[in-house]
Formats: sequence, C-alpha cells, structure tokens
Amino acid sequence: MKLAIDETRCKGCNLCIKVCPYKIFKEGKRPNRRGIVVPELDRPERCANCRLQHLYGRRLCGVCELTCPDQAIHWIEEQPYEPMKVAIEY
Amino acid sequence: MTFEDWFRTDRLPHIYCAGCGNGTIINCTLSAVDQMGWKKDDTVFVSGIGCSSRAPGYIVTDSLHTTHGRALAFATGVKLANPVLNVVVFTGDGDLAAIGGNHFIHACRRNIDLTVVCMNNQIYGMTGGQGSPTTPWGCLSTTTPYGCAEPAFDLCELAIAAGANYVARWTSYHVKELEKAVKAGLETPGFSFIEAMTQCPTNFGRRNKFKQVADQVEYIKTHALLRAKRDRMIEQGEKVPDDFFVIGELMRRKRPAMGVKV
Amino acid sequence: MTRLEFWQGNTACAEGALAAGCRFFGGYPITPSTEVAEHMAVKLPKMNGVFVQMEDEIASMAAIIGASWTGARAMTATSGPGFSLMMENIGYAAMTETPCVIVNIQRGGPSTGQPTMAAQGDMLQCRFGSHGDYSVIALCPASVQEMYELTARAFDLADRYRVPVFLMADEIVGHMRERITVPDKVGQTPRRELDRGVLPFQPDADLVPGFATFGKGYGVHVTGLTHDERGYPCATNPGVHAALVRRLVDKIENARTAIADYDIINPDAEQVFVAYGAPVRTVQQVLHDRPDGMIGFLRLRTVWPFPEHSLKMFKNAKVFFIPELNMGQIAREIERHVKVPVVSLPKLGGDLHTPPELVAALEAHR
Repeated sequence: MKLAIDETRCKGCNLCIKVCPYKIFKEGKRPNRRGIVVPELDRPERCANCRLQHLYGRRLCGVCELTCPDQAIHWIEEQPYEPMKVAIEY
Repeated sequence: MTFEDWFRTDRLPHIYCAGCGNGTIINCTLSAVDQMGWKKDDTVFVSGIGCSSRAPGYIVTDSLHTTHGRALAFATGVKLANPVLNVVVFTGDGDLAAIGGNHFIHACRRNIDLTVVCMNNQIYGMTGGQGSPTTPWGCLSTTTPYGCAEPAFDLCELAIAAGANYVARWTSYHVKELEKAVKAGLETPGFSFIEAMTQCPTNFGRRNKFKQVADQVEYIKTHALLRAKRDRMIEQGEKVPDDFFVIGELMRRKRPAMGVKV
Repeated sequence: MTRLEFWQGNTACAEGALAAGCRFFGGYPITPSTEVAEHMAVKLPKMNGVFVQMEDEIASMAAIIGASWTGARAMTATSGPGFSLMMENIGYAAMTETPCVIVNIQRGGPSTGQPTMAAQGDMLQCRFGSHGDYSVIALCPASVQEMYELTARAFDLADRYRVPVFLMADEIVGHMRERITVPDKVGQTPRRELDRGVLPFQPDADLVPGFATFGKGYGVHVTGLTHDERGYPCATNPGVHAALVRRLVDKIENARTAIADYDIINPDAEQVFVAYGAPVRTVQQVLHDRPDGMIGFLRLRTVWPFPEHSLKMFKNAKVFFIPELNMGQIAREIERHVKVPVVSLPKLGGDLHTPPELVAALEAHR
C-alpha cells in the first residue's frame, strides 16, 4: 500500500500536516496548475497503514484520510507488493 | 467498502472552502454509516440550508436538501412514512439552533429514530459570516462587529433536556472518536444527536485571530474538555473555564422512541 | 354499491383522502380545519397509515413532503394563518415536484381574523403565495359530496402532475353537515415511477418526470436549489433555471383543459354568475327561484389553473357576476379573459350572500 494525494481534489489546507502522528506530510513548495500548494510526502513508507494494513487485515490509523476535508488522501495498492526495509524513528 | 464509495465522485471536489471541517465530518459520518453495513438503497440523507446542508448532495444515496431549518421536519416525514429507511440528518448550528430550533426540540421530544450530525462552526458560513446562536461571547462576525453580546446555545444540553436518546459532542480534530460516536448514534434507536465542533477558516477564523486553519483546529483541540475530566474538576471544586466546551458521550438512555424499524 | 351518510364537510374530506389511499397526515390544529386532523387521527392508525401532529404548520408541510418522497400519498389540512406559514415549503414542493395535497378550510383574514367564519381570501395566496414563478392546482368544493370527491381527485392530480394540489374549501363547506353518497371504492391513478436509466428530473412529453421514490435505489438528490435533470444544484446557470421554471409552469398550464372541472348552466344567457365554493349555493338558490333560463351559471370546481375557455362558452354574455367571500380575487382573474363587464360581488364578514342580494345585482345591471 502507498499513500497518495489526489491533486484534483486537494485544496491545500494542510490539515494532514497537523494530524499525521508520523509527520509524513509536509508543506508543499510550489503551486500546481490549479494554483494550489499540495502537501508533499516525506518518506511515506513510515506510514503504519501502508506497511501493516495487509498484515492486520484492517485499516490502521487512517486519521489523515478521515480528516482530509476534501477526500484527497487515499491508499493505493502497490503492484506487485514488495516488502521494504524501513528504519523506524521513535 | 470504504466511506469513499458513498460519495458521488462526479460532484467532487465539493464547494467547501480550503480547510473547512465539514468535509472531515462527512468522512466520519459516512465511515460510520459504512461500518453499519447499511445498503445505499435503504439510506436517506436529509439536510436543510447552509454549508453543512450541502453535504447530502455529495452522497450517492437518496438525499433531500430542504428548506432552511426544516430538515428535521422533512426527515420526520420520511422516517415515519417508511421506517425501513435509515435516515441521517446533516445540519448546522444556524440551521438547527436558530431557524430550526423548534423542530429540533420537538424531534428530540418525539425521540424519533433519526441520527442528526450537527456541524457547529459557530457562524453562518454560507451567507458570509454572520453571528449564529452558538457564536461564543465576544467573538467577531459581520453582524457582531463589536463582539457577540449574546450568550451561546449549548446544543447538547438542549438535546438532553428535550429528550434525545443519544447525545455526544466531538470536534473535527477528534475524527476517530467522532466516527465512533456517529456509529453509536446510528445504532441507538431513537433520536441521536452528535454535535461536531468544526473550524470555519474563511468566516470565523479569519475574523477571530486564527491566521491558519491549523490554528483554529489547535484552539478547538485545546479547549475541548473531556466529560470525565469536567466531572472531576467539578468534584474537586475547580472552576471550568468559560471558553471550554465538553466533549464525549453526554447521554445514552432508552426512552421510548418513534419510527423504529420493526 | 354505495352508502348514504350524513357527514360534516371536514369528515367527508378526511374520508375522501382515505379512500384515495392517503396514508400519511401531518397537521397542526387550527380552526376550522381541525376535524380533518381529528378524523385522520382516529382512522389512519387502523389503516396502516401514519398520523403525526407536528409542532407547527411549517413542519406539517415539511413532513408531508418527506413522506411523499417515500411514495406515500400525503396530505395536511389547515386554515389561513397556518397556510401562510406553509408557503415556503409549498414553493419547495413546487420546485422539487413533490405530489402532496393541502386542504385549506378558509377563514376570515388577514391575520387571526375570524377563526369560525367563512372566507375565500386565500385564493390568490394559494396561487402566488410562495416566492418565484410556479403553477399549482386548486379545487373548490361547494358541498359535502364534493369535499369527498374533490379530495380524492386532488391526490390523483397531485400524482399525475407532480405538484402540490390545494383543496380550497371554506368554513361553511367544512362545517356544513349534509347527505353524502359514499362510493364503495374510489378509482386511483398511481404515481408513475421513474423508468430505470432515465435521469430523475428528465421530463416526458407531458413535461412531468417519473417519480424516483426513496428507498428504491434511484439515488436521487432532491433539492430546492435550481437543479438540472440529474437533480444536481445548478443555481448559477441562467439557461437551466429558465428552462426549469418554464417547465414547472407549463406542465400545469398546458394541461389546463384536462384538469378543468366546471358546470355550465344556461350557456345562452346574457347575465352570467361565476362562483366557486360556498357562494355556489346562493347562486343555485337564485337559479332555483328563477327557472326561466335567463341566468347563466359557470360553476367552477377547479380554480387554478383557471379554466378560461369555460368563459367562452357563454357566447351571449353581456355581464359576469362574481360573488365571492373576498374582495374580488377571482373576479380580477376573469377580467383578464373577457371583454364584457365583470361585476365583482364581494362579501366580507363570514356570511354568505343572500339570494336577494344577488337578485339585486342582476336588476341593477339589466
């Protein structure tokens, strides 16, 4: 699984930056074609849901998706699924 | 299925301003509805007028976007005429507490089997930021330019006094808790009222010293007082600050209800 | 088989509604319409229907619109002050094309006025009361028998044209008791369901779209905002708004002849009475007293859309007399359609015109 921001829906409110417990979202740098500064992903492989949803068989955390007022944050399947070695910061 | 499946994706993105909490509350509500395992055909969303009330237009089920303040009266008709339908009402503070106040207390009194999600942004957002019955004391709006000089409504206390079976208040920051509260409301027979405090960056935050969306969310987060903590403070004789509001499940009871599916 | 009853007009109205398949009543007590609600409260629960006394007339109107969208035949009954409160939601019903029946047992106004006296002062309000342009259907009974029959027909018209239909009775007809022949069964034309694959507000050739009942999987979005054929808000597009409002008006106005219901007596007469509701009874008495065929009578049962073609039937007419329990609301409408003088005979205060008053008017214009 991997995190994706739908640029056609994002309005650049940056609420995801506030709510993500892993601080994966960070402020974008330049406006896109619609003039909206879409947040960027900082090492999204740290996201618990990305790594563990398949293992647990349910949605973990998911606060960014629920909070995003513009329904712009989703997880998309990575095909083929490749386990990755991740350094977890505490 | 996820809550994403309940959106009319052809109508997204919606009309809400950047940072508006209404989208968050719709997500939480739809997520709860999704977890109930309800069929889309058997679910109806009803709303009145205002920012919050645009929500049903983005939901794929049958939906009724009605006149200002009357959502609960329309929903009463829908639910009583066909109790098989699961009826969820989206409303706002102005819609519910001002023009629809009478319908609100009477829907609570009848304890009709509806779930009402009130997006309380403490302002009339759609008309450009006029003071509402829940605008806090001293806050600025276009119709309270010298600070709101009227005491605000506590909608949850009102719902409890009027007889609702389930009453909870959360905020647009507490998404998981809000989702659970809405689900508890959907499961409860009788009138369930969930108030979601939310930010309005365009019309409330802008005039009340919240420069960024996150600032107002932070304010809501830090001024929300869990019910248990509030009770503890009262027990210990501490004063609950005026600008704090209570969050959590505030009432769960089993008064006789109307329009419950047999 | 039919049976004879001795009923009050309001009872007949409620019974007519039940016979027509009305299974939802939302109302609020108001003199002189309360007996309709009381009768429904007794009967509906036994007939698998729903009676709910709402907190006010605004909510009553809202509740019947909500009920109607679940497929139920729904109605409310009220009088002047309550009718004024309903106006916003009546506009909503017109905009969203929601079939519903509103019974208005008219009383003296304005404001609280004369709760126990008759009037016909809401005739223009029912046509033009809500903001914006729209068209509605209004029926006017003049007897207890017609209270029954027209109420039943109101439901068929509401479902056929997807429009609020008004039963504009008055206190005299509502509280009058007389003999009524009750049929065993009232014919019902069911509401036409939306065909699958058709957009929910896409009209047929008759400009009326099929009905997307809630709970049947149509996923329809109903909004009082200007909407396109999908039902989606489209409030800033001038073309969409113009087309929608034009259709809302045309679907009724084009069907004027099919909706019209009137009697024509003595079409060759030179002096013609036009009446609806309680004043019909006085005109009938005048005609009964003068059976010489010299007095024409156009007796309207539908007032809106106004059946203007019925006026043309009186080819020799030199003058039209309009006895009304108001200041000439329908007389003004008739003036728009005829070239000969129109004499308004207003009567205020709650009493009916007496036959001598009408005869005096005839003599004055001979």
